[in-house]
Amino acid sequence: MSSKIAVMADPDTVTGFMLGGIKDGFPVSNMDEAGDKLKELAKEYSIIITTEEIGDNFREMIDKISSESALPMIIEIPDKKGSVERESDPIRELIKRVIGVEMVE
Amino acid sequence: MAQEMIEGINPTRMELLKLKQREKLAVKGHSLLKEKRNALIMEFFNILERVKGSRDEVSLKLQEAYQDLTAAQVMMGDLSVKKAAMSVTESVDVDIDSRSVMGVVVPVIESEISQRTIVERGYGFMDTSVKLDEAARKFEESIQLIIELGEIEKTIMLLASEIESTKRRVNALEHIIIPRIENTVKYIEMRLEEMERESFVRLKMVKKTMEESEEAL
Repeated sequence: MSSKIAVMADPDTVTGFMLGGIKDGFPVSNMDEAGDKLKELAKEYSIIITTEEIGDNFREMIDKISSESALPMIIEIPDKKGSVERESDPIRELIKRVIGVEMVE
Repeated sequence: MAQEMIEGINPTRMELLKLKQREKLAVKGHSLLKEKRNALIMEFFNILERVKGSRDEVSLKLQEAYQDLTAAQVMMGDLSVKKAAMSVTESVDVDIDSRSVMGVVVPVIESEISQRTIVERGYGFMDTSVKLDEAARKFEESIQLIIELGEIEKTIMLLASEIESTKRRVNALEHIIIPRIENTVKYIEMRLEEMERESFVRLKMVKKTMEESEEAL
């Protein structure tokens, strides 16, 4: 099964990824639009690339989508402004909870 | 808590046998689950080795890519960059398979992202700059990394939730269910012994009274 990849992010990021060869780019300019689009895309695509900024805004929704099944996988990447400074990395937090000790620095 | 046991159990031999069966099953289940948990954690550590640095690598690569993109936008203008991007042909071919780790289905992604030459990308040369080529190349590389990262993170998440629930079950069996059954078994055994002693004493008493009445005759 060949899978479809979509990019949903701010217009510049989408342009970049389209240059890289992902055909399905969905530029969104505000957060309301992003939420609706994300819901829509989750049904259709198996890999969705989005920015950390959008990810942080829809953390609950993304967690729900990714915990329900293996697909789609939603990948958050830093946007043009660089990586969002987070108090805690969600993955690191998860590892800490599971193993009980801090593993990755 | 130490003496907690199952409520509403009759101290009979039947119940005792049933409980012993249940205890056996619980102990067996406990050791199996423990093995499962250990195997999962081992798998988890293997994946952790891969995640280290993977995210940093992606952000670094993207940073470079964004820089080139911005440079291209400055040189060619926003619109022409967008136009060029629209005409780029698809480069990504992803195959998602799944693999089962102790019953947890995790995705395995086989991605084929062709490193293409400038000609193959599909935009014209007339009005594009070198920076655009650079940006396109870097984005292609980033996409490869991003997809790998996605696979790893997804696997970590799925494994983590499975480890958590397995852990909870192991602990529940170890600290609540098995001790409770053990206590109940002990209670029934003690009650049965007590009843045996009671009937023994009763028989003695009966015998004694019978002997006494025989003597009196």
